[in-house]
Amino acid sequence: MRSIEEENEHEEMESYLSFKLDDEIFAVDVKKVIEILEVPGITSIPLSPDYMAGVINLRGKVLPLIDTKVKFGLEPIEFTVETCIVVIEIEVEGEVLQIGTLVDAVLEVLEIPQSSIQPSPSIEAKYRLDFIRGMIRREEDFIMLLNLDEVFSIQDVMYMQEANESMSSEELTEK
Amino acid sequence: MENLHSVYLEEAEDLFSRIEESLLLLEKSPDDASLIAEVFRSMHTLKGSSSMYGSNKVADFVHNLETIYDRVRGHEIDLTQDIIEATFKSLDHLKKIVQSPDIPDPIDAKYHEKLTADILGLLDEYSGGGSSIKQGSVSTKNTFFVSFVPDKNIFKNGTNPLLLIDELRDLGPSRVYTTIKKGLVSKKADPKECHTSWDIILVTEEDENPIQDVFIFVEDTSDISIEKIADVDLLSVSQFASKLPSSDLSSKSPTIKQIKKWVSEIPQEAFENIAEEATEVEEVTEDEKGEKLQRSHTQDEAITSIRVSSDKLDELMNQVSELVTTQAGLSLYAENNFDPVLNVIADNVEKLSRQLRDIAFEMTLIQISNLFRRFNRVTRDISTQLGKSVKFITEGGETELDKKIIDSLADPLMHLIRNSLDHGIESTEERIKLGKPEKGTIKLSSYYSGAKVYIQIEDDGRGIDAQKIREKAISNRLISKDDDLTEKEIYDLIFMPGFSMAKTVTDISGRGVGMDVVKKNILDIRGDITVESKIGKGTKIILGLPLTLSVIDGLLVKVEATSFVVPLVDIKKCFEIKREELSNDFNELITLEEEKIPYLDLRKEFLIKDENPPEKASIILLENEENKIAVCVDAIVGEYQAVLKPVGKYYRNQEFVSGATILGDGSIALVLDAYKIIARKIVKQKKSA
Repeated sequence: MRSIEEENEHEEMESYLSFKLDDEIFAVDVKKVIEILEVPGITSIPLSPDYMAGVINLRGKVLPLIDTKVKFGLEPIEFTVETCIVVIEIEVEGEVLQIGTLVDAVLEVLEIPQSSIQPSPSIEAKYRLDFIRGMIRREEDFIMLLNLDEVFSIQDVMYMQEANESMSSEELTEK
Repeated sequence: MENLHSVYLEEAEDLFSRIEESLLLLEKSPDDASLIAEVFRSMHTLKGSSSMYGSNKVADFVHNLETIYDRVRGHEIDLTQDIIEATFKSLDHLKKIVQSPDIPDPIDAKYHEKLTADILGLLDEYSGGGSSIKQGSVSTKNTFFVSFVPDKNIFKNGTNPLLLIDELRDLGPSRVYTTIKKGLVSKKADPKECHTSWDIILVTEEDENPIQDVFIFVEDTSDISIEKIADVDLLSVSQFASKLPSSDLSSKSPTIKQIKKWVSEIPQEAFENIAEEATEVEEVTEDEKGEKLQRSHTQDEAITSIRVSSDKLDELMNQVSELVTTQAGLSLYAENNFDPVLNVIADNVEKLSRQLRDIAFEMTLIQISNLFRRFNRVTRDISTQLGKSVKFITEGGETELDKKIIDSLADPLMHLIRNSLDHGIESTEERIKLGKPEKGTIKLSSYYSGAKVYIQIEDDGRGIDAQKIREKAISNRLISKDDDLTEKEIYDLIFMPGFSMAKTVTDISGRGVGMDVVKKNILDIRGDITVESKIGKGTKIILGLPLTLSVIDGLLVKVEATSFVVPLVDIKKCFEIKREELSNDFNELITLEEEKIPYLDLRKEFLIKDENPPEKASIILLENEENKIAVCVDAIVGEYQAVLKPVGKYYRNQEFVSGATILGDGSIALVLDAYKIIARKIVKQKKSA
């Protein structure tokens, strides 16, 4: 163990915050993470897309919440004691925004050398590839490193919404 | 320094637009003395602040312009189109160089020289014809001989004698001779001591006092002699100037005796010439005195208003918002605790914070004329470029709007005006053929109505052909052939991404990006946009904007567990009803005061799944100019001042939510946009019909 650390000593270590969605582990760059919150009262906004979980009051600011699980095609999040909101900062349309992302549980902060990040396997297309920046091997598990600006970009949000709308209108016309 | 620059830029920007505005008016009435005076004054101020900021290049440049307008003001020359054109060019150039006053770009520098030459050319051209010879020759220019031998320890006081010389030179034209003590090259000379002395021939309008003032900190230790050698500008007398040695280090400084001798040798006529010129100088100074008076006058006025950085205002607004939110918490707590003393305090805090809110809010409002002014110039330039003749009218510039809204309006308005100029207004020939007035008209106006501010861009051009839009939309597959659209719906199509009506792409507009971006910008500030058009008559585009983005008075209501705030200004009346009155009505009409009004049940509208709605419900009657809509909610909680906070771009498509606000207990209520709700209802009605 020691030898590995020594070996990595000269290399830049980067910190990542890992969290769980269902049984899978994801990680985000800590530089993007502002804070981690317990889940307060959420005000949902009517007629918004499913993955938009509503808004919360973050010390006087209105923070939009995203249900990361729905966004990733999983079942909507169920609130437990471990459920957390990870407040992250992303760049959207040239503006820096803060958003809250709902996750099943926050795990730990990992110190990882750049070199141990592997490119994401293109075969496993469970998640959209542009969402994943790379993989980190941690003992038996793989941790997926998220590309936050991509995952939560508004264009994407809008696109999905338009897709949903056009789908529903198509359904209507079919009927 | 950074801060200073931004203050300077801000002021310059302000002055540019003032000058431009006056110039545009001057084009129409070139004899208007008050406008010329305004231009002159603005240029003068610009020159002043430029040299204060230390950008002498800008100051010198403006100085020449100022001189032209000074002569125009003194009726020495007429304001010609050439001058106006040159001024516009100069303004454009100035706008560029104030950003980096040293003019690092060689192309700019070259242009700078060219423009300077042009302006000087104009000055020369006109100064010949003027009646410059006036009677009564009292010269105010004097020539002084100043000898300055600093104490050798002057550096130890931290004084830089060169700065003093510079200061002296600022007083007027001068010749400076430097003498370095002999034997300085020897090793004995202490480099920490000053071995240099200066002799200066200075021409200035001032008397001895300001010259003495320059040396005020060194006069006790240094040898300073100031002697007046003539009461005219000797340096401009060629007979004198030619005798002076060149002012480099190699030449020996002339002594006072020599100079006096030279002066006595000058023939009398030379002085007379000078005297004549001096009258001119005199005139200028008279004017300048007036100018000074005016300036001190404006300074008096300036005390009644101060410039505050908008960041500070934003911060104030934020703090006030926090206060209002905190106060709501206090009021709620007081209400639940039945403590009469606490209740009185809470009431007072509420009153105070409301007043504070109103004052702070008013401070963030600015007149839209600031924005309108900018378009004056753009319209002029573009119409010239397109070879179209256009009259640009603005109305309602005194309408006040939140600064943030005005800032985000600049781009969309610019786009709309360009569109009108490019596609709306026909060419002059075409207009004559159609029997329209030769000059096209574009009117930009704004007015209040209800809780909104409306901005209209109206042109008397060719209008938009709804049929053509329809065809285009069908060919672009935006709509299908059988879609039955109203005129308004058709016009809304032009806001779809990728929809451009321009047949040819021109430099100005028609690249297919455009109206969708305009719409997006307007939606981002929670506004709306509508188009009205008549073929051959013109087009009117109306922007409806919220008055403020910060605080509104609203009615707090509940639907299921969620709180909503409806802006008070949109509410006509409230009623209490039994829910069953609604349930059997499939037309979705409710009778209120013997009038059938379409209603919207927010429970249904927001797809709230709850089988047991409360028995009682409340109806809020919303009204805009055209429509009345009843909105059904579960309960009305009460009046509430809502500090509007954006819900963020992620909820851009939930148009009916214009923001969120934080309630006394820390939970969030959504602020509803009554107009959008009315619009939703109308769309629904149409679909079902």
